[in-house]
Amino acid sequence: MIRTAIEKVGEYFLFLCKVFRRPEKTRLYWKQFILETDKLIISSILIVAVISVFIGGVLVIQTASNLENPFIDKMYVGYMVRESLILEFCSTMVALILAGKMGSNIASELGSMRITEQIDAMDMMGVNSASFLVQPKILAATILSPLLMLLSFVLGLIGGYVVVEFTGIIRTASYIEGIEFSYKGFFVFYSCFKTALFCFIISSISAFEGYYARGGSLGVGRSSTRAIVTSSILILMFDLIVTEVMLY
Amino acid sequence: MIEVKGLCKGFDGRQVLHDVDAVFGTGRCNMIIGKSGSGKTVLLKNLIGLFSPDEGDILYDGESLVAMDEKQRKLLHQNIGVLFQGSALYDFATVLENVMFPMDFFTDWSYDEKLERARFCLDRVNITGSDGKYPSELSGGMQKRVGIARAIALSPRYLFCDEPNSGLDPYTSILIDKLISEITVEFGMTTVINTHDMNSMLEIGDHICFINEGTVEWTGDRHSILSTTCEPLKEFICANTLARNIMEGQGR
Repeated sequence: MIRTAIEKVGEYFLFLCKVFRRPEKTRLYWKQFILETDKLIISSILIVAVISVFIGGVLVIQTASNLENPFIDKMYVGYMVRESLILEFCSTMVALILAGKMGSNIASELGSMRITEQIDAMDMMGVNSASFLVQPKILAATILSPLLMLLSFVLGLIGGYVVVEFTGIIRTASYIEGIEFSYKGFFVFYSCFKTALFCFIISSISAFEGYYARGGSLGVGRSSTRAIVTSSILILMFDLIVTEVMLY
Repeated sequence: MIEVKGLCKGFDGRQVLHDVDAVFGTGRCNMIIGKSGSGKTVLLKNLIGLFSPDEGDILYDGESLVAMDEKQRKLLHQNIGVLFQGSALYDFATVLENVMFPMDFFTDWSYDEKLERARFCLDRVNITGSDGKYPSELSGGMQKRVGIARAIALSPRYLFCDEPNSGLDPYTSILIDKLISEITVEFGMTTVINTHDMNSMLEIGDHICFINEGTVEWTGDRHSILSTTCEPLKEFICANTLARNIMEGQGR
């Protein structure tokens, strides 16, 4: 089992070497990059937005109801919501959601192409199929995902604001004061970095699983499942490692 | 011309091809026939370089495929057109984009030049008015024809077809067979067709190579196949009613 795991890791890195070879025709890769941006990033905006707004609202209610001590300023509700969003929710939680959406999309698309011999047809023409099909996906996901994280952060804060405004759970001025309190720009960079890393993991693992799918439609289903499970575990593992390295 | 010399190939300790020798000539339809599981697809995949032989060699006009480095293989692949069993058209591209795909990668032609060539290839396979359609919007026969148009887009020297008639009705099958035969002569290609369709064999089989349990048991043409004395081949042929009737007629 350990040997199989080591072999799999080796295959994954060999696959990445194949993916990151110099593009044969940059213009074609650029066109694919635009298409993948639409498919992987633009189409994820809605789900990220909806989840972020609701989570922002929920965080405000939960934090406010746990800060009942009269000696603690209610301003800390806004502060804690902001920190929760930027440190963990907007990067890790959004990445876990994207692992499901983006991961299954990539793995099933490539898996279907594999079993219908479309990848073989590309290889037969002398096209580096791994590079042409996968490189634009990984680049689009890695480079542009921090924008999703920033959007999630802003919408999470707005969700909290809406709850504060309509329920009066704390004063709006306190919430805004908390959001502005002790702001650390590094946390935004840290969160952007984590999101980019997580989306690299999601896109590359899913592409690897899909690219080498075998066993018909059942095989494609299995590769999608493996892609999501492996990506999710690796996201949580690297969350711990990156947090230890960058924040401790 | 493609020559296969002493080709052996196995998977997980199971030998699929044993010492296969064959010659596929230029300008004619060469057919590899045999029962399902006889090793013909493995032979075809070795020929086009998707599998590497365990032993033996494949010579493309005298050049060893086994000895080729990556760059040489890439150049060779640009001279190979392949029609896959399921057509393998790219789902993300329209009919026109599918045919233009190899040109996008391997030529520096202007868009108009590529368009002209793509239209020529599509006209040649009798596909008109479907430029903007996606593969899922086409019938099986149309997909095969678009697959052929894409395969000949760069005027390849070698054309490989894996079960070109699978899933097609007899009438469409004949059209596809005739089309492959015509373009083989027209473009002077070395065409290798992997099939178990007796009608195709009798219609366009200029050179036939019968594979049984991983070895070449018989070679000949469509005229001599019905008078064969090779028992496994006779058994294979007699599974087809039309061919059996012809053979029985000859016997009488």
